[in-house]
Amino acid sequence: MADQLDVKQGTLTLMVLRTLDVLGPLHGYGIARRIEETSKNRLALNYGTLYPALLKLEQEGFVRAEWGESENNRRAKFYALTRAGRKQLARETRDWNRTADLIAAFLAPRREAR
Amino acid sequence: MRYLRAVLARIVGFFTKNRFDDDLRDELLAHLEMETAENIRRGMQPDEARRKALLASGGLTAAAEAVREQRGLPWLESIVADITYALRALRHSPAFTAVVVITLALGIGANTAIFSVVRGVLLKPLPHHDGNRLIYLRQSADGDAGANLTFSVPEVRDFRAGAPSLGGIAEYSPWFGTLLGDADAIRIAMGLVTGNYFEVMGLSAELGRLTLPSDDGIGVPPVMVLTHEFWMKRFGGDPSIVGKQVHLDGTSVTIIGVVQPAPSFPDRMDALLNMVVSPHHTSAFMLENRSHRMTEVVARLAPGATLDQARTEVAAVYARMRGEHAEAYDAGSHPQVAVLPLKEALGERARLTLWLLMGAAAFVLIISAANVANLTLMRGARREHELVVRAALGAGSSRLRRLILVENLVLTLLGAVGGVAIATGGVGLLTSLAARYSPRASEIRLDGAVLGFTLALSGALALLLSLIATLPKEGTFASISAGARRLTSTLRKQRVQRALVVAQVAVSVVLLAGAGLLTRTMIRLSDVNSGLRTDEVLTMPVPLLNPSRMSPAADAETKQLYERMRSEVRALPGVIEVGVGSTMPLRKSLIDLEVKADGKSPAVGEATPRAGLRTANPEYFRAAGIPLLAGREFTITDQPGSAKVVIINQTLADKFFPGENALGKRVAWTGEVLKFTPFSGEWRTIVGVVGNTQDGGLEARPLPVVFMPFAQEFAVSGGLVIRADHNVAALKSAAEQVVRRIAPTVPLENVLTVSQIKDESVSPVRLNAALVSSFGILALIIAAVGIAGALAFSVNARSAEIGIRMSLGADRGRVLRMILREGGALLAMGLVLGVIGASFATRVMQGLLFGVAPTDPATFVLVTVAMAAVGMFACWIPALRASNIDPAISMRL
Repeated sequence: MADQLDVKQGTLTLMVLRTLDVLGPLHGYGIARRIEETSKNRLALNYGTLYPALLKLEQEGFVRAEWGESENNRRAKFYALTRAGRKQLARETRDWNRTADLIAAFLAPRREAR
Repeated sequence: MRYLRAVLARIVGFFTKNRFDDDLRDELLAHLEMETAENIRRGMQPDEARRKALLASGGLTAAAEAVREQRGLPWLESIVADITYALRALRHSPAFTAVVVITLALGIGANTAIFSVVRGVLLKPLPHHDGNRLIYLRQSADGDAGANLTFSVPEVRDFRAGAPSLGGIAEYSPWFGTLLGDADAIRIAMGLVTGNYFEVMGLSAELGRLTLPSDDGIGVPPVMVLTHEFWMKRFGGDPSIVGKQVHLDGTSVTIIGVVQPAPSFPDRMDALLNMVVSPHHTSAFMLENRSHRMTEVVARLAPGATLDQARTEVAAVYARMRGEHAEAYDAGSHPQVAVLPLKEALGERARLTLWLLMGAAAFVLIISAANVANLTLMRGARREHELVVRAALGAGSSRLRRLILVENLVLTLLGAVGGVAIATGGVGLLTSLAARYSPRASEIRLDGAVLGFTLALSGALALLLSLIATLPKEGTFASISAGARRLTSTLRKQRVQRALVVAQVAVSVVLLAGAGLLTRTMIRLSDVNSGLRTDEVLTMPVPLLNPSRMSPAADAETKQLYERMRSEVRALPGVIEVGVGSTMPLRKSLIDLEVKADGKSPAVGEATPRAGLRTANPEYFRAAGIPLLAGREFTITDQPGSAKVVIINQTLADKFFPGENALGKRVAWTGEVLKFTPFSGEWRTIVGVVGNTQDGGLEARPLPVVFMPFAQEFAVSGGLVIRADHNVAALKSAAEQVVRRIAPTVPLENVLTVSQIKDESVSPVRLNAALVSSFGILALIIAAVGIAGALAFSVNARSAEIGIRMSLGADRGRVLRMILREGGALLAMGLVLGVIGASFATRVMQGLLFGVAPTDPATFVLVTVAMAAVGMFACWIPALRASNIDPAISMRL
């Protein structure tokens, strides 16, 4: 538990979009499981974090939500990427990679410092 | 776009709460079930599986709340809640709410009403197209008659040629005429205008067409454009009026259109006509003589030109004119031309009065706001407990601030509603006041801009009130359980409160001083001796002859008519004397002409003396009650063929013959303008000197006047002066009947008693004084309530201390004196600050005062004493309560 991380605002959006891109339409539970698994359980998503984020994505038109049947015949709300969502994913991925590179460069062992 | 879409989704969410709530519950429960199922699949017991799943969820309620915040408009929802709460809280303290709302309504109402006038008269853009580029030119000179000389046509021509930054220059010449109706005749005020007038002014036709350059010159048909007001008043807004012929002074004139509503300037006008209507205006005299000034000039700045450019150019042209035509300019009176934006010229007379009233209203609002702040502080002290509980339950300080702001907003908005109601009632009165000073009074409205001002004012007040309120600091929760008195916060509040009380007293003193000065001005003004011996005089202007069509035969006929009217009115019961003269007493003379005395030449560099020209018959002075100081009145023997004689007034006698006997000396009219009048410049012998009369209003200096015998001169105008033994006003209808019988078509207007004429000077000042006084009294009352409230609060806070003092032997008198001293100190401080403030503030209103200095000691003393007395009375109530404190009870609290 000690190395569990809080989800940073903004990164969650990217994770959700990526998850939906890889796995196709998915319900909230599935998304949460996938993110937790991908993070090797270093991330724990509670509902209060996940569902507002999903609603926000829906309001912005990046995902579409529809009620459907889950794999074991439960009624569940499924989220699917929209075209705008796909574009947004590409944009956010690019931005994130750039930011990550930049931060990495900053935090690299000091060579040229001083 | 994304953002918009999200906002839209949120707004939809706000209104579809319930369906979404069900949806959300289902979704969250499905998640929980799936997780539980997964846990069971991993081998947990069902109970354990569900517990784990719930634990991982982080709480369903909290999650739902988080989603709801994302979904709708959470701030709106909580503000709705705040408003509901505020309304409930205010309903629970009805006394507080009522006092605050009434106080605010008075303050806001006064400001709204007066702002609507200030906006309508001074601030609003002119209704003219591009009205900000309109320019008014004014030629003025030193001396009593020099305030507005107007221009001559050659002067206008020079400006047209030499000032390119004035894109268009239009002429406007005020004129009067008698318009014949089917059954009656009315006197109308006209403007004779050049064809470009409407284009320059940027006015468009409401109906028909307006005059054009093709209507200029001679040989064109005379045409008339009605003003909107006159069209409504006289023709009931009849659209078929266009194309009709009317009879104006015996000429047939075609009405061609109605102009859009616009302020009449410089005078009230009913209709605008082309110049051809008046032979005089198209005569060579008018067109070629530089000193024949009877034209007002309005102009429009050329595109790209600035006011400063126009000023420079006009000054240059004017200097050249004066150089080339020195004979037309009286260098001794320092003539000059002012270039004013028309909007400024229109607001000139109203400006000082209106800003004074606006200032007074603002002061009332400051005092009301201070009082409301005081009340809020006191209520805050009582509410502290509640706020602390709310903070303990988790309300953040921003949430509490917002709650307080919403409450104050509710209060000030309620006040604004009351204020607008008050303003709606008061705006009519203010409009009638403004109409005396400004042609734009009809533009005064409680419109969107004014309401916006009121709303902004309320918002600002609410913000201010919220800033004063204190929030419980963190870590004060202990005080709830302890029930301890929190003295520090109370002390801070008291300091704020005392400062507010001092400010209230000071501002009240300033207002009262202004009110006092205006009241004294009014009293002084009504005490002015008009120069007439009695008020039982009725003045009745009877315009029988059109001055532009004059012949000796017509004149003889006119004089006979006047004589018949005189003798028949004289025969009415109760009439003592009836005089006939060109001009009514206490009215400005028909014309002012340059005048000279035999053997006296004015000193070099001094303005040429001018005097008002009047005619009078032998009975005129006795009828009007004008005292004869020396010599004789006119007699029946002063006939056209006999020696030319005059009677002059005291002012002229003092001017020409200081310390000498004026009788037997000679004066004569002179100057360039004389040749346009039917009066000769021959020497006339002075046979009498009469007392001065206040012809320019009660506040004005008496002007020099020369009376000529009515019989010896053309009757260019005339009227009856009727004196009765008592109740002269009752004679009005009988006298009017006589006159109408003799001259059925004569328009009878402004038939007024001398008291009514005097009141024209006094009544605007009276209204002013009444308004500022009511503001002052309002301020006094509110300040008194403020003092009493602040002291009561202090007594409350100190009740334990007072109890201790009393139990240690302080008697009631001592406690009483202690509290009175506390209040007295505040009062004294406020009085000192107020007197200092007033001595600055009243200087601004110097222009509105008459016969009293802005720092009139008597007024200041009176105001200070009044404020002190009311203030001490207000202190007395809480002091008395303090002295009645029962130590046994107060110390236990």
